[in-house]
This record gives sequence, C-alpha cells and structure tokens, in this order.
Amino acid sequence: MTRRNLILALIVIPILVVSGFYLRALVRHMFFENRPRPEDEMRTQLSQQALQSEAGAEQQTVTLYFPNFEAGTLVAEARQLALAANNTDRIRQIVLALIEGSKQGHARGLPASAALRAVFLTSDGTAYLDFPNEVTQNFPVGIESETLAIYSVVESIIANIPSVKRVKFLIQGREVDTLDGHADLTGFYVSSQSTAAHAPP
Amino acid sequence: MAIACSLSLLLWPARRLRSENFIFYFPNQHKSLPVEMMDNAIYLPLIPLLNVAGQVTGLQEKRNSLKVWFGDHQLEFHENKTRIQVNKASVSLTHPVRRSEGQWMVPTGFIPAVLPQITGQPVLYQHGTTRAFIGNIHPVSYSVELQNQPSGVKLLIHFTGKVSIQTASTNGKWIIFLQGVPVAPLEQKIQFQNPYVSRLDFDDQDGRPKLIITPTSNALNFYPQISADGRVLTTALVKPPSPQQPALAQKAPATAAPPSPGATIATLPTKPSTPAPAAAAAPVQSLPVIVLDAGHGGQDSGARSQDGILEKNLVAQIVQKVEGALTATKTYRVILTRNGDADPSFEERTVTANTARPALFLTFHAGEMGARSPVIAVYTYRAPSPPPANDKPLPFIRWDLAQQPETSRSQQLAQDLEQQFAQISGANAPQPMEAPVRQLRSIAAPAVAIEVGTLSPEVKAGAIAQPAFQQQLAEAIVRAVEQFVPGGAKP
Repeated sequence: MTRRNLILALIVIPILVVSGFYLRALVRHMFFENRPRPEDEMRTQLSQQALQSEAGAEQQTVTLYFPNFEAGTLVAEARQLALAANNTDRIRQIVLALIEGSKQGHARGLPASAALRAVFLTSDGTAYLDFPNEVTQNFPVGIESETLAIYSVVESIIANIPSVKRVKFLIQGREVDTLDGHADLTGFYVSSQSTAAHAPP
Repeated sequence: MAIACSLSLLLWPARRLRSENFIFYFPNQHKSLPVEMMDNAIYLPLIPLLNVAGQVTGLQEKRNSLKVWFGDHQLEFHENKTRIQVNKASVSLTHPVRRSEGQWMVPTGFIPAVLPQITGQPVLYQHGTTRAFIGNIHPVSYSVELQNQPSGVKLLIHFTGKVSIQTASTNGKWIIFLQGVPVAPLEQKIQFQNPYVSRLDFDDQDGRPKLIITPTSNALNFYPQISADGRVLTTALVKPPSPQQPALAQKAPATAAPPSPGATIATLPTKPSTPAPAAAAAPVQSLPVIVLDAGHGGQDSGARSQDGILEKNLVAQIVQKVEGALTATKTYRVILTRNGDADPSFEERTVTANTARPALFLTFHAGEMGARSPVIAVYTYRAPSPPPANDKPLPFIRWDLAQQPETSRSQQLAQDLEQQFAQISGANAPQPMEAPVRQLRSIAAPAVAIEVGTLSPEVKAGAIAQPAFQQQLAEAIVRAVEQFVPGGAKP
C-alpha cells in the first residue's frame, strides 16, 4: 500500500464507522423506540384539559372515598379541588384524584397506573366511565378489592356531582362481565348506603 | 449408565392405556377414538382426530416436530411442548404434545382450542369428559330426583330437552337408551343411599347415550314412563305385591308383566303399577344437591401471591376438600361446576347449577383483603342497582334476577357459614357482606361467595395455602351446610 492510500484509508475508515453508528441510532429512533400512541396522547390531552379547567376556578371541598380493607368499608377524605364548570370535566377530575391516591395514607382503589379513556354524561344522569384495558394491570384482584374500587368511584362521583344518579363502567369502550373476574360490571351502579362495602363518613 | 436409565424412567411421562373411547357427535352421526391417559390428562391420537373432524391433506414430520395441512390451515407441533402453531399463530394447550409408540398425541384441550378455528364449526367440549359436540348441536342434560313410595322409590329424571327412550335389562341392571338427541350429563355417575336403588350411570361409549340403573335387589319391579312431552322420565322401582296382600295385588296393572333384570325387553310397560300401601316400606330419602364452584381456571388464573400461588389452583384445592367432606357424610350429592383446569363461563357455571336444582350454591375465590390474613369472608349478592319494579308479574324468572327471590335464604346461609368460620382458630371471619359478585347473579338457589385472603403479589399466601387450614375450612362449611339444609332430605 502506498503512503497516499494509507492516509486515505485512515481518513475514510473512521468516517464510515461514525456514519454506521449514526445510521444505526437513526433507524432505532425511527422504528423501534416507543412513541406515544395516539390514544395515549388523546388521554393526556383530555386529562390536561380537565386539570387546566381548574385554573382560575374557586377551590371547593370535595369528598373522596378510599377503601379500608380491614373493615371492608370505604373511608372519606376531604380534598380541596378547583372543580371545572362542566360536569363531565368534574367527573374526570374526581376519577383522576382517586387515581392519584389518598393524601391521608388510605388504601388505593384504582391502581396508580390507571387512566380514563372517556367520560360521557347522559341527560338521565348516567355517567359512563370508559377505562382502558390496562386498568386491570396492577389491580388488587378479589371480590372485596374490586367491590371497594367500584364503590369508591361511584360514591365519590355521586357525592360531589348531584346530577349524576348512576354510573356505568366500560372497558376499552365495551361492556364487560367483570372488572377483574369478580365484581359485576354488567349493570348500572347507584349509590349504596346499606352495603357493608360502603360506610358513610 | 444406571443413573441415566433411572433418570429416563423418572422423566418418562406417566402413561396409562384406558379402555375408553372419546365420542365425537356430529349433527347426523357420531365417531369414536380410543383415548390414552398420560400425566393424568386425556390424550387423543392427532391424525385420526383431525380425520374425524375433516381431512388431513398433507404431513411433514421431522425428528421432534410435525407439520400438518388441514384444508387451507397449517398446524405445527413440537414434541413435549404446550405451544403449537395454527396458521403461524401460537396457541397454548393445557398439556404438552406427546408421542406414544410413534403416534402424535394431543391433549383434549386441543379440541376447544383449535377445532373451531380449522373446521369453522362450533365445538362444545367440557374439560375432563370424553365427548365433544361438533356442529350445530344442542345436547340435553338432566337432573335426578328421588321420591318416596310406600313400597319402593320413584326416580325422576328431568331432561333439559325432549328425549325418547327404549329400555332393556341385563346383568341385574336396567338400561334406558336415550334417543333423539346427544346427551351431555352433568354427572357421569350418581350414587344413592337408598334401599331400592344404588346408582345411576351414564354411558355412551358405543355412541348410544344410555342411563344404567342399578337396583339394590333383583326382586324389584321396574316401571318406566316418559311424560311432560318427553322431558321427564319417571321410573318406579317397587317391591312386587306380597302373597299376604291379595286384595292389593289385584290393583296392579293388568298390562304386560313388568320387566325385571335379566330379561331383555324393547318396549315400555304402558303404565306404572299402582303402589301398595306401606306394608314393608323403608324410609326413603333423596339427597340434597350442593353445587361447588371453584372460580377462574384455564388462562384465567385470578389473583396471585408473592410465592406464586394462583387463585384458580388454591380454590380448586379447597373445593376438592369440601367435596370430600360433604361426600363423606353420605347425605349430600355434590356437583362441581368445573373439572380440572377448565374455565367455564359465568353462564355455563350457572346453567350447571340451576339445572341441578341445588339446595345451595357456593362459589370460592381468593384475593387481596388487606393485612388481616388469614381471613374468610362470606358475600351474598347485591345488585349494582335496584331491580326494575314490574307492574305485571312475569310468567318466568328473569335470568339476571334469578338470585333476587333467594336473597333472604342466601343471607341465612351466609350467617351460618360465618358462625362456623369464626370458630376456626386464628382466622378472621368478618360479618357477612353484600357485594356485586357476578357469579351469584343468576343462581336460582341460596347462594354465597366465600373469599379467602390475603392472596396478593405483595405477600406470601401463608395459612390459606396450607392443607390443614383448608381442611378446617372444609369441615366448617360442612357444619354450616348441615345446619342450613339437613342431609338426606329436601329442604
């Protein structure tokens, strides 16, 4: 190899190596990295809208219900929230607050990884809550835990939004038999004042 | 060498030939295949099975794998693997694919998992049984009831559909051939504690569904009669009139002599005999039916503990112990809604229960119940919202409201259970609660859910997975059942 070719090789080889690494990173970025799905983006946007609608609104005391597994009941927790003017956004705010969890150390009904796909409120006072499939991931499975989770949502919404009379749970937009194998989701839930799964504050 | 041989023997799958057939029912015919038991699972020869369901069009066998073409579908099997490929999609079976004497064998879980897809036909198969229904077939089932008679017993068999019958007798047993429709029995054999009849078996090994009644004595007369438009078979097993009762004997029907075991007949007596008054009648009791439902199964494992205990297996163990303890009393008949690792739907379990007309229904679950372990909770059904008020009473019970009329009796049952659970040393037994338990919604009998805990990924299962605790639980349930519905008599 001549001196000229040697110098040329010493220049070209590093350029080729660097280009190779760059192309590899580019391909990974374009095709393999997890990008937020449109549905996730939509959910985030809706949740942000619900939270932004608080801005400027007056703080109100709302009552949230969390499970007490030892007693098989719900316990009430007062929370200051700037509730939105729109009832649909209010429902979303309350569910998001339940997902956020108790600030007084109570147990969690919905898992922290839960999200809400959509909320609909019909003129007869039925609130439709549409959760994604992932709501059952990291969910505490069982009759008691599912019952308490359902009623924590139902009681929290009905206690704070009087126009809501009953709640219907959907998973991924569809009616399902159960939340996670135990609690019946085929019906419409109304407030329960007598069940042992609920204890008024 | 010796170690290698020992290891081979140890690892060799347990295999037992069973002189039993698997029956495939089609709309207008049936076909049978011999079954083989391996690792306590029922296996069928793959290629004959596919040829029963359709036509194998190609084969490619390698050392440990097999490719099969079935019409437009391609299936791929690997020896000792539970995963198979159906049209390049992975399907998981409950047991691995095996080879036995050069023949590829598949577990019966293959039938519901694959046949509907490759045949394009609906397939009905209940795990653990040896019959499947392919095509538009609606098999009938039946429940059994015993009624006291002054000098015998009346065996009433309630079918879920219309059947016609033909009778025969052989070897001291009465055989009732069920014609017209395929039959899917809830129980293959039913034993009675009765002075006149000892058992009722179902058999369809030759593709002809039949009931076999075993009397306790050859000296009994047998009068079968079909009624209710072919839906109820009444068989009276009565003592023949004694010589000391000439006047009563004259009241016996003046028709053909009733058949007795030992002689084959092909026609039915026109009418059952008029029973004689209680001269030597022994007290006869029918057994209350208890339905036990082990939650989840199959792909649905339910809750899971930190040490890997699955809810579906835990509740199956508990149900097995409860079944054993109830059967040991010889005063109850027990029906299970799931066998093995099957996962019947809520409705299938409910149909099993309601068809059996049970004295009570218990569904078993385990789950997250906080830090108070072990805990045994009892739930009755609470509907998510009050049932609609009906102005006019309906002539039938609404399926989704079937539990409603049973609420107070279910609550009584829950109280009886809770009292017994409170006596289990070290266990927490809270007051019975109401919850929207899906499985209880349509049960037309006193029904409760029993949940043990805590079964959570954050803690080990502990006592609830221990056989001693499960046995205590089973015995407590038997005491509560005896309190709620005394054995040997209808409630």
